[in-house]
Amino acid sequence: MHGHRGDMTTPHQHPLQKILEQRIAIIDGAMGTTIRTYGMKEADIRGDRFRNSKKDLLNNGDLFSLTQPEMIGDIHRRFLEAGADIIETNTFGATSISQSEFFVDDPREHGGRKDPAFYQKIIDDPSLADLAWEINEQSSRQCREWADRVANDTGRQRFVAGAIGPLTVSLSNSPDADDPGFRVVTFDQVRIAYAQQVRALIAGGSDLLLVETIFDSLNAKAALVAIREVFDEDGKELPVMISAAVGRGGETMISAQTVEAFWTAVEHAKPLSVGLNCSLGPDLMYPFLEELAEKADVAISAYPNAGLPNPLSPTGFDLEPADMARYLDDFARGGLINIAGGCCGNTPEHIAAIAKALEGRHPREFGAALAHHSESHA
Amino acid sequence: MSTVTETKPLRLSGSQPFTQQPGVFIMIGERTNVAGSPKFAKLIRDGKYEEAVSIARQQVENGANVIDICMDEGMIDGVAAMSRFLQLLASEPEVAKVPFMVDSSKWEVIQAGLKCLQGKGIVNSISLKEGEEKFRSSAATVLKYGAAVVVMAFDEQGQAATYEDRTRICERAYRILVDEVGFPAEDIIFDPNILTVATGMEEHNNYAVDFIHATRWIKANLPHAKVSGGVSNISFSFRGNNKVREAMHSAFLYHAISAGLDMGIVNAGQLEIYEEIEPELKVMVEDVLLNRRPDATERLVDFGEALKAAGAGTTASEKKAEEWRNGTVEERISHALVRGIDAWIDIDTEEARVKLGRPLAVIEGPLMDGMGVVGDLFGAGKMFLPQVVKSARVMKKAVAWLTPFMEAEKAAMAAAGLEIRTQGKIVLATVKGDVHDIGKNIVGVVLACNNYEVIDMGVMVPAEKILERAREVRADIIGLSGLITPSLDEMVHVAREMERQKFNLPLLIGGATTSRAHTAIKIAPHYSEPVVHVLDASRAVPVTTSLLSEEGKADFVAQHRAEYEAVRKAHSAPRQQTVSLEEARSRRTPIEWRAEDIPQPAFTGVRVLDGFPLATLREFIDWTPFFHTWELKGVYPRILDDEKQGAQARQIFAEANALLDRIIEEKLLTARGVYGLFPAGAIGDDVELYTDNTRSGILDQLHFLRQQANREGSEPCRSLVDFIAPKETGLPDHIGAFAVTSGVGLKDLCESFRAAHDDYNAIMAEAIADRLAEAFAECLHKRVRGEWGYGCQEHLSNNELIEEKYRGIRPAPGYPACPDHTEKGAIWRLLDVQANTGIQLTESFAMWPGSSVSGLYFAHPQSRYFSLGKIDRDQVADYHQRKGMSLGEIERWLGPNLNYDPAE
Repeated sequence: MHGHRGDMTTPHQHPLQKILEQRIAIIDGAMGTTIRTYGMKEADIRGDRFRNSKKDLLNNGDLFSLTQPEMIGDIHRRFLEAGADIIETNTFGATSISQSEFFVDDPREHGGRKDPAFYQKIIDDPSLADLAWEINEQSSRQCREWADRVANDTGRQRFVAGAIGPLTVSLSNSPDADDPGFRVVTFDQVRIAYAQQVRALIAGGSDLLLVETIFDSLNAKAALVAIREVFDEDGKELPVMISAAVGRGGETMISAQTVEAFWTAVEHAKPLSVGLNCSLGPDLMYPFLEELAEKADVAISAYPNAGLPNPLSPTGFDLEPADMARYLDDFARGGLINIAGGCCGNTPEHIAAIAKALEGRHPREFGAALAHHSESHA
Repeated sequence: MSTVTETKPLRLSGSQPFTQQPGVFIMIGERTNVAGSPKFAKLIRDGKYEEAVSIARQQVENGANVIDICMDEGMIDGVAAMSRFLQLLASEPEVAKVPFMVDSSKWEVIQAGLKCLQGKGIVNSISLKEGEEKFRSSAATVLKYGAAVVVMAFDEQGQAATYEDRTRICERAYRILVDEVGFPAEDIIFDPNILTVATGMEEHNNYAVDFIHATRWIKANLPHAKVSGGVSNISFSFRGNNKVREAMHSAFLYHAISAGLDMGIVNAGQLEIYEEIEPELKVMVEDVLLNRRPDATERLVDFGEALKAAGAGTTASEKKAEEWRNGTVEERISHALVRGIDAWIDIDTEEARVKLGRPLAVIEGPLMDGMGVVGDLFGAGKMFLPQVVKSARVMKKAVAWLTPFMEAEKAAMAAAGLEIRTQGKIVLATVKGDVHDIGKNIVGVVLACNNYEVIDMGVMVPAEKILERAREVRADIIGLSGLITPSLDEMVHVAREMERQKFNLPLLIGGATTSRAHTAIKIAPHYSEPVVHVLDASRAVPVTTSLLSEEGKADFVAQHRAEYEAVRKAHSAPRQQTVSLEEARSRRTPIEWRAEDIPQPAFTGVRVLDGFPLATLREFIDWTPFFHTWELKGVYPRILDDEKQGAQARQIFAEANALLDRIIEEKLLTARGVYGLFPAGAIGDDVELYTDNTRSGILDQLHFLRQQANREGSEPCRSLVDFIAPKETGLPDHIGAFAVTSGVGLKDLCESFRAAHDDYNAIMAEAIADRLAEAFAECLHKRVRGEWGYGCQEHLSNNELIEEKYRGIRPAPGYPACPDHTEKGAIWRLLDVQANTGIQLTESFAMWPGSSVSGLYFAHPQSRYFSLGKIDRDQVADYHQRKGMSLGEIERWLGPNLNYDPAE
């Protein structure tokens, strides 16, 4: 690298940054659990293209962006109309590594094991790389189109966040009980897979990159290294959002890192925001969000699950739109957040309720604004 | 430090966060470095990684804040070994919590290491050795992976050995990193090369001195940068002679830390205390390190050959029988409980168990009856707290005796639905950031005596842990304790969390800084359930009983709410009258500055006292607060003859002295202290401290606050700064600082008592240690007044000392004259308190171990104690500028002193 190193935020203030200082921005709800309400079947996700696939694909929700673009577009539209400022691409699992779960024989079924040699073949497999690229690029385009359309209709700018999920493998954990030092995949393999995803998300027109549902901080660091490298090599930077999933003790769920330790580990990426999503319902998330808001001097995001899983509910989760609205309003009144939304179990109705509840609420003060005001909140 | 802005701390993480504390030396463990440990190197070469992991674990257990991992050895594949070892450590939770330092001279090994760190570690190292381009790209990579970096003082010409080369290269590297790469300055750690001295080569003799000078220069000239070094290099010439090596390490660290060294790679398990080095050896070691004489090396080599040491000691105890032993077993148990005699309780309990058939019958029968008598006597004021605590000790021993029997019966008992009935469960904790234990322990014991089940969570407990436990055990009440002012905010936080999480149990608040007014005004409004301030342990029982009583609760709560509402109303009266900061400054303490009032001390700089004789300190003890600890109110020695409390007072006094005898004889506690006197001058409301008597170099700054409220007529608006001669007077004044502890060994001592179910002596030991610490402060102050040249002629008795009839004061940050606890950070820097005494500061600036005292010395005859009182926005705004801390932070630390509500 030569000369000055840029921040991950562009030199001029990003329009979203400005919004975050003025009001609480709304991010959309869950793709996966909302898709479930459309009653899609295995045949629907396969379409013609994946008709002969050997494995079941119904849980590979990212593929819907290729085989059922109308439904995915409808979901994006509904979230936007519900008031989302930011919508996420349907690319949570759109890396060659995650897609391999659905398209490559599992060596464990034949007495083998997944190891770095196995994943090297995945990384080197052009068909998986192409598929991952296509999902990311297509999904970004679809989001872009809807975001711009609704923005034009409503006169309010909307943003597309390229969603970068946690992968199905961990860099911090060994699946082998006899060898805690073993890892199925290497940091470089993960970094390469993420770099492919990042390029495709940018190519499709994403405004932001969102490294989310972080179970394993080392996976997230590989994503952040990949992002930095793509920015440096391609000469274009987007704001980065970072969001972790923590357990009941406030630690990342696989690598058991506390919230403050996690923030210290990713702060160098100079993200636009950091926050928590998924895992805990909003009530259990509160103290950890509070801790994060105290330590991190950037925008804070929160998009929790709609409570805990409940098989009897149509979305599979406990909390109704009004419940979520009340909890996120608690966050807002606690002065904790700049970005609010929902994760698993949150439908467009949930997001609409949240958006309504947070209208006119002050965002958390951070950065320069904070220095001029007291941090206490009466 | 020459800058006014606070240096940004180094922040790192493993699975847990690590933030550098002001004045606290960071220890980097060196035993997982193949160069530092032949044992570790062999384990790695032999592929015995599991054993190698246990070395890492020991490092963390021994107190290493960070562990250094180095695999640079010819026979080891560095990339593979680094990756594998770090991946193993990631699976070892006790080790994975600390940050790791990836140490290699090979770039590919460093990169491999970076790819295994989930937290923010340190890269050791990069340098300008291969030119600027390579340096920039390496630094950018380190930043991309999110690590701090050690930069060696090395450039294209080679390793810097002179002071000039060391500083020149560090400055050049700093400018490239900060200006060109955008590297955060606080994440840059310079290693200005600790090189081996006493090699026999004359040009090596000044290496240690040059390092120390370079360190001081870096800290003064490269903002926020840190300094580190591999300490064991210094003594390589003495390989095989660990005694000399350890002395060299400790003496070198002592001088380097004073110059600003932030961290070092050390063997965390074996660091000798500077003051423990044998005096003769110390002189010789320092001659070598500080290059004080040409034959220093030869002398140290000769001396090093002739060194040995040994020592041991033991004790014993006795017993005798009495008349009451002739009663029935029930009578004997009751007597033992009321009188607090535990000598026969095991035998008696067993006899009762056999007689009554079931262990529960013993608890519910004679034991509860006996405790009932104790409770009644205590409630009627006929028994005193120390006795109650002793009774509890006996009760605990009896229950401990019965526990195995009860466990054996447990299944059957559970089936029968029988349980030990308790009146309620109470979760007690000292809040996060606070270490003060003793009052809470007493409350716990008193409640336990009254048949409440007490879950004592100890000290420094975060809110979520308290609430989690309360939920888990279905507590009936939560009690919070804290002694220092920042704990008040933490209590507010807990109350708000309880509200948010919809708890419905009462909250009790106690501890020295807490008050009924603060509880009513600041805490209670955040929580809908009753929040009750408990003044002392004796009130804990009636409050708890009322809150948990079905009949009495409603009345109690109604009355309590009315009282607190009245307190709030009274307080919402107009704010106090204040004068502007400008006017306050014009009304400083009127002092006519005269040279004869400015004594000149016999020395300046820092002195360490280790293993200070406890027998000497004993002479300085002020016993009155000791009796207050036990809730006997009165003044020593009159209290011994008090009509009502005298007998009790005499007894605990005798017992305290017996324990003190034992502590002194068996050296159960160690007293350590450090103090220093520094040339100083007042500038505005700050005091500048100078590096030497030329008063040209600024060592540090102290910041003071000034009275603004209720200063009627022409009453002065005092500030401690008033007692230091203003710089413009030209008078060469001084200021002093000290920190002392008598708490070294206290934790082990208390734990050994508690393990024997002896809470009484555990609390007694804590109370004594507190007294010794205060006595140490008094004793040291006397000595300092002598050394300062104005106290030699005092001839004061201990009583007169206690009444502070001498000239000069020793106010402590966090107390009324200077309530800002964070100023302790300056004392810790000036005296290098942690390295010299082991006293650490918590995140709330409490001192750990608890039996510690620190403060500043003022010598002027007119210096006096006062209370700052309330201050206004103008002063807070000015102070935050002076301190270089954010306004919000300052308002948080000074909360109780604000004459306004920061939220308004």
